[in-house]
Amino acid sequence: MLTQYIPIFIVLSIAIIFAVVTVSASKIFGPQRPNKEKLSTYESGMKPVGTTRERMSIKYYLVAMLFIIFDIEVVFVYPWAVNFKSMYAEQGISVFFSMLVFLIVLELGYLYVYKKGGFKWD
Amino acid sequence: MQEIYNLIPFVLISAGILVSLIFEMYAKNSKRIIAWFSVFIFLAAGFHSLVNVDNAQLFFNSMLQVGGNINIFIFLFNFAAALVVLMAMDYSSKYGNNFGEFYILLQSSVLGMMLMAGAKDLFVIFLGLEIMSVSFYALAGLNRMRLKANEASLKYFLLGSFATGFIVYGIALIFGSTNTTSIPQIVDKFGELTHNLLFMAGILMFLIGFSFKMAAFPFHMWVPDVYEGSATTVAGFFSTAGKTAAFSAVIITLGSVFMHGNANIFEPYLVVLAVTSMLYGSIVAIAQNNIKRMLAYSSIAHAGYLMIGLASGNYEGIAGIIFYLAAYTFMNLGAFGVVALIEGKDETNLTFESYTGLSKKQPFLAAMLAICMFSLAGIPPFAGFFGKYYIFIAAIKSDLTWLAIVGVISSVISIYFYLRVVVIMYFNETEIDLTVQKSNYGLLAVVISVILVIIIGIAPGSLIDLISSFLK
Amino acid sequence: MSILEIILFTLGKVLVLLTLILLSVSYLVYFERRISAWIQNRLGPNRVGWQGVLQPFADIFKLLLKEDIVPDKANKKIHTLAPIIALFVAFSTYAVIPFGPTVTLFGYSVPLVVADINIGILYVLALSSIGVYAMTLAGWSSGSKYSLLGGIRSSAQMISYEVSMGFSVGGVLLLSQSLRPTEIVLAQSGWMWNAFIQPIGFITFLVASFAETNRLPFDLPEAEPELVGGFHTEYSSMKFAGFFLAEYANMIIASALIVTLYLGGWQLPLIDTFGLPSGIVITLQILGFVLKMGMLLFFFIWIRWTLPRFRYDQLMSLGWKVMFPLSLINLIWVAVLIMVFNI
Repeated sequence: MLTQYIPIFIVLSIAIIFAVVTVSASKIFGPQRPNKEKLSTYESGMKPVGTTRERMSIKYYLVAMLFIIFDIEVVFVYPWAVNFKSMYAEQGISVFFSMLVFLIVLELGYLYVYKKGGFKWD
Repeated sequence: MQEIYNLIPFVLISAGILVSLIFEMYAKNSKRIIAWFSVFIFLAAGFHSLVNVDNAQLFFNSMLQVGGNINIFIFLFNFAAALVVLMAMDYSSKYGNNFGEFYILLQSSVLGMMLMAGAKDLFVIFLGLEIMSVSFYALAGLNRMRLKANEASLKYFLLGSFATGFIVYGIALIFGSTNTTSIPQIVDKFGELTHNLLFMAGILMFLIGFSFKMAAFPFHMWVPDVYEGSATTVAGFFSTAGKTAAFSAVIITLGSVFMHGNANIFEPYLVVLAVTSMLYGSIVAIAQNNIKRMLAYSSIAHAGYLMIGLASGNYEGIAGIIFYLAAYTFMNLGAFGVVALIEGKDETNLTFESYTGLSKKQPFLAAMLAICMFSLAGIPPFAGFFGKYYIFIAAIKSDLTWLAIVGVISSVISIYFYLRVVVIMYFNETEIDLTVQKSNYGLLAVVISVILVIIIGIAPGSLIDLISSFLK
Repeated sequence: MSILEIILFTLGKVLVLLTLILLSVSYLVYFERRISAWIQNRLGPNRVGWQGVLQPFADIFKLLLKEDIVPDKANKKIHTLAPIIALFVAFSTYAVIPFGPTVTLFGYSVPLVVADINIGILYVLALSSIGVYAMTLAGWSSGSKYSLLGGIRSSAQMISYEVSMGFSVGGVLLLSQSLRPTEIVLAQSGWMWNAFIQPIGFITFLVASFAETNRLPFDLPEAEPELVGGFHTEYSSMKFAGFFLAEYANMIIASALIVTLYLGGWQLPLIDTFGLPSGIVITLQILGFVLKMGMLLFFFIWIRWTLPRFRYDQLMSLGWKVMFPLSLINLIWVAVLIMVFNI
């Protein structure tokens, strides 16, 4: 049963080896002559101002939260989608409506976020 | 069709949340509409659960019970929520949380409580608890402009999720040792499981988690700040419906253990919590000058009295807890209702000084608050006295007479700070003027609560008969 | 097959595919430069070798021999980790994509897919979610404002489009009844390509793939005029090359995925009617797969040099206000189709 995952394991290990070798290649082949100017942060040739560890717009956090809600919705849809045909043959239209009710409940939440300006970016 | 009929309270509240969301999105005067709509669905669900007592039925693979003994809890949640909505109608604009979302969150927290009360599976308890708690965290901090509300919300969230963590670990350990999360199955095996260390650790963690939610002594840290910071109506809801929900979850788990004739092995834990909560709450409340903080500490003390009922672990104890919860819900909501009416803009008029000479300025409100205070102190003709009476009787029946005596001592201590309010209102004079915003709905809610307190106090037999019929 | 045989066959397939992908990545860069030059009426690289065909190798050697600079303010470990994640994701997603039917080789029946697992689509979606980390961490760890903005933007953009991508795939799953890519391909035999049955889903998935691979018009994470290089501003030498390789490899994987999910995979309609020998049929099918992929890749490049870049608010409102409802409609549309026509 688990033998079908052996190829995945091989692919993942080869990918990791490939990635590590690629990234470390120029440490080996490239020159190493660092100086202060070279190591400073790039800011279009000006002296860097301030740090990057500052607060950023709340909108990004909002997007992250919405993503979690709706991505979990997607996860709930997949098992239903995979079994839909066989379950429809057995139980009829109730299979469709049970998912429709679930989607409507969540889409009401989506509509609420929309109306309250959760997707506005200005 | 009977199934649908039994499920009406759950369906009403769930559909109500969705309909309120639509109102909030599209209706112009959404706040008023949603407020009255939620009063309507709360009352409908509450009275349906009173009528539909005899049809106990299991739903969703025996994970949820509807009807039967849990209906008293469902009634309490819904009725308390309806009273809170009435109080909040005018208060919210004063306090600044006048959003339609306030009522929607109230509805969803009631849904969570109902799930907790009806649960026949540990996961349903967890689900209900999370629905309730998350709504509570948001309710506590609904007014983002207030620093104290933010503090309250964050404190409640951090400590509440900590407590939830305990509960989930407990459930995991219980599941690990019993291979099931179904409460009836666990109760069946309970006798042999008491020797299983893993199981006992799980139960203990489960109880610790709920002790947070009940606001019992070592787990009470969040209570004063959360009650002080959040809106008065919301604090009243936390202290009554929230506490009732936590006790309902413990009663449906531990209660069924007791009812099956098992020994009460949690007695030491519950006794320690009861004694410390009662004494701590009563003594620290004396030092308070803010009436909301005073009520918060009194709520810790009341959690202690309720714990006595759990510690006695018999039928009378369970009935006593339910009686006490009903009485406490109304008297505490009445007290918070009066506080909400007197509170001015920006958290003013909350100290005892504002209540000086209230009997001259607002004689009716003063009388209402006095009745609630008498009842909270446990003075005879009112509901609070009989609550304590039944619980102490239950303790004496299970040979915990000393615990009943500690309870009486704590009640005597508590008389001091409850009656201080009455003394300040009736026997002190002041020149300071007090302007109270008129609110008919808030007054209505207070009057209903006080009338219920008096009725329960005058005719306790009818309520205890009702509870006994539920418990069968 | 015994475990040793599985390992040997897998190693064979992986080595062949990896070489092919690396070669096609190099030449995709070359073709992109030539095609863009052609679109803009320029010449493009034509000096190294005949018509510049050796240009990719020159680029790689140049990057290999450059100095690896890690800025002072950067978080060194994460700064190194980010390109590793990007490369790792880009060079492991191909494992579940079937590029041909099952063939008989040395007496074994070998499916022309590296790993024929029953959760293939979940594997792809999971890895593409990990891909978000590469850009976010790269942007965050560099200690530069351009990088940070690019990284944050890219994470918000990618997760926004992942939702509609997921819903579009739901429509495919309704028809295939399986998460196994080989079965998804087999469910589209004849002309029953998902692109024809659910055109809305096809379009939303196509657009979401553009956003997920950060291609124009969705390349805000590295919008040159405003963010210099976006999340890879502070990267140099092979670390930079790593992001570059990963971006183009992702393009190839994305087009292979689109072909698998919506364009019938390796299936060619009507091929059985000619009565060709099976060897030729299989070769034609693999060639058909490569051809479909190539056309999609050309489409990717064509779009890039034709359309201007979105503004950020347009990008987000497209993702949440248009793509998300459309992909939901597509899901319900497919369910209704199944119920009405019993397909």
